[in-house]
Amino acid sequence: MILRTPPPRKRRADSVADHESPVSDRRLVLYDDAVPVSSVDPPPDQMVCTYHCRQMVKSEFLVAFDTAEKQVREYQSQLERWKTELHESEDERKKCQDRLSYLEQELEASKGREHALQERLLKEVNDSQERYQFQIKRCHELEVQLKKEVDSRKNFESSAASAKERVTDLEEKLQRLSESSEREKNRLQRELSHLQDESQLSVSRKTADLEKMRLKAENLEEESELLRKQFKDIREQLDECLHQKSALEHELSTIPTPSQESTPSEDQNLVKHLRDELQNYEAEVQEARRLKSCHVNNELLKEKLLEEKGRREKAEMELSKFQQAQLNAQNLELELMSWKSLLKEIPDVTSYDDIPKKIAGLQKEAIESMIKVGEISAHLKELEVSLELAELSKQHAEKESALAKEEAENSAVEVKRLERMLSSVTEERDRLNKDATTLNKQKTVHADGGMMNETLVKDLESTLALREQTIKELENNLHKQREVMNRQHDEIKLLNEKLSFEARRIKSLEREGDRLRSEIALLESKLGHGDYSAANTKVLRMVNTLAVDNETKQTIEALQAELKKTRAKLQAVEELKGQSGQA
Amino acid sequence: MASRTASKDIITLRGSAAIVSEFFGYAANSILYNRGVYPEESFTKVKKYGLSMLLTQDESVKSFIGSLTSQLSEWLEAGKLQRIVLVIMSMATSEVLERWNFNIETDAEVVEKGVSREKSDKEIMREIQAIMRQIASCITYLPCLDEPCVFDVLAYTDKDVAIPFAWIESDAKLIQNPQMVKLHSFDTKIHKVDTLVSYKNDDWDEK
Repeated sequence: MILRTPPPRKRRADSVADHESPVSDRRLVLYDDAVPVSSVDPPPDQMVCTYHCRQMVKSEFLVAFDTAEKQVREYQSQLERWKTELHESEDERKKCQDRLSYLEQELEASKGREHALQERLLKEVNDSQERYQFQIKRCHELEVQLKKEVDSRKNFESSAASAKERVTDLEEKLQRLSESSEREKNRLQRELSHLQDESQLSVSRKTADLEKMRLKAENLEEESELLRKQFKDIREQLDECLHQKSALEHELSTIPTPSQESTPSEDQNLVKHLRDELQNYEAEVQEARRLKSCHVNNELLKEKLLEEKGRREKAEMELSKFQQAQLNAQNLELELMSWKSLLKEIPDVTSYDDIPKKIAGLQKEAIESMIKVGEISAHLKELEVSLELAELSKQHAEKESALAKEEAENSAVEVKRLERMLSSVTEERDRLNKDATTLNKQKTVHADGGMMNETLVKDLESTLALREQTIKELENNLHKQREVMNRQHDEIKLLNEKLSFEARRIKSLEREGDRLRSEIALLESKLGHGDYSAANTKVLRMVNTLAVDNETKQTIEALQAELKKTRAKLQAVEELKGQSGQA
Repeated sequence: MASRTASKDIITLRGSAAIVSEFFGYAANSILYNRGVYPEESFTKVKKYGLSMLLTQDESVKSFIGSLTSQLSEWLEAGKLQRIVLVIMSMATSEVLERWNFNIETDAEVVEKGVSREKSDKEIMREIQAIMRQIASCITYLPCLDEPCVFDVLAYTDKDVAIPFAWIESDAKLIQNPQMVKLHSFDTKIHKVDTLVSYKNDDWDEK
């Protein structure tokens, strides 16, 4: 630093101690402008007294001047010191101003950040509140759905219990049904065997009758041949008789009456003879007619024989068909056994008529269960969708809670930093206050040179007051932020609790969904098994199996018609047998 | 049957019935070939659904399947057909060994009002192709049919359907404790066909 005033000369200070005057030889030199100071002339002796006085005055003046100079120098040094101190204080003031401006900028930035943080926090709080409300709504909806599911499950359980009870009842009924069916079967078997015996008897009788009829027919044929021959002979005789008759009549007509009177006895004899012959011829004619009728009867009998032969052949065919029918009956019995074994497994069946009803009921139940399965699957899908949405919302909420936590941590760090800044600013303020007080004290001692310091101190004090206000405001904001953060922490805790609750509910819903999926799989398996409702569905298949054409269709129809006829004949035979039995 | 539009084709009830009945014809042939019901040399290759499909050349089988598919098409147009089942049985014992179940769901609105639907033909063909591929790959998990077998076709119809000539009522020919494998399905927007095969448990697998 360049000093404005040179340092005091040490020689002068030392010379003051030696009491040396500026003139070294202690001579009082009259002040004369033209005379240089350095001129050294010895003063006259006459003026020694005044010179001594003057020297004394001069020395005193010099001493006083020295002291004044010393004081001036002291004051100058103090002034210089104060100036340096003032410079330093100015520098510090500038520094403080810079720091204050920096702090103001920081404060504004922190205010802006705080404002932004508050807005973001408000937005997050609003969003979290909205999500919370949405979650509450979803929770309510899920609770309602869960209640419905629980109620439906209870209903299903109750229906299952009632079904089980019905199953036990049906099993008992089925046992009874099986016993009755066995009795019925035994009875039918007995009847079948009886019918078989009867049919065999009737067949044997028919064969015997056929044999008889055949023999009769043969005899009748022989008789008819004989009669035919006789008939021919008689016819020839009849023709001869008729011819003779006609000749006799002609002769009788040509014979005259006297001749008649002459021979009345011969005529009478002739007439008698003719009458006898006529009677004989009439008898022969009657016999011929009888033979003709016998011949006609014989032909009728032949026709009947042919018919009986045809019937015999048909009966033989029917016998073969009967054997086939027996085989079919055996197959039907086997099928009946299999059906009965199936019936044993079916509950709620007391008789054969109940089977289609039971099947219809079961199919209705199956359809209803399928409908329920469809509804449950749809509900399950909705639950899955809601579950996915809940999981997404849960993940989102977790992310947001993590973000909120991070922000809270950041804001806490920010708060700590602001607190540190605040503490540093307060320390700065205290230090400035102390400097201001010291400067004030110095101002009272050095009033002349302290005007600038007063203004500076006032400025500093005003800025300090402002900074104290800003610091108070910052502290209030910090306090508010802490409260907001605490509230957010509480909300986060509540959300976490709700998240855990929702997670538990999600798990329970997942278990419910798995159970429903297993039920769906079970019902689908039953559906795939081929079960159907007899009330709404019937199963058809083509009879026209491979290698069947139109001719076989016709043969099938013909056989079916013959089968119906044989069945009708069998029924007629049975009725006849019944009537004969009653007779 | 189908007319071209910008990106989807219009499907009518008749067209959909023809598609489904034709699919069943080809599926039945494929099953008979893959399960060895008829000898391989009695089949010939044709191009269908973007694949090489095998069709029988046996005239009796051809006529049988032809008359069957025509009747199925009638029932489908009337909306009366619920299910078609191709049953494979042992020739000696008549025991049912396999049931190829084709479940059909019909859009009632189309049958009642005669409206049409829109779906791309290519999409339907793609779906059918997937089912045909699955039928061809079924030999990997179905038990071997070591004995001579015969097949029959059952039609599950509505109760009020008049039984045509050459058709009779029958039992469902079920399998006790079957194993079931669900295959893909295809949908014409009018008829939805689900395919499932159930088969008798192989004694080797049971052991």
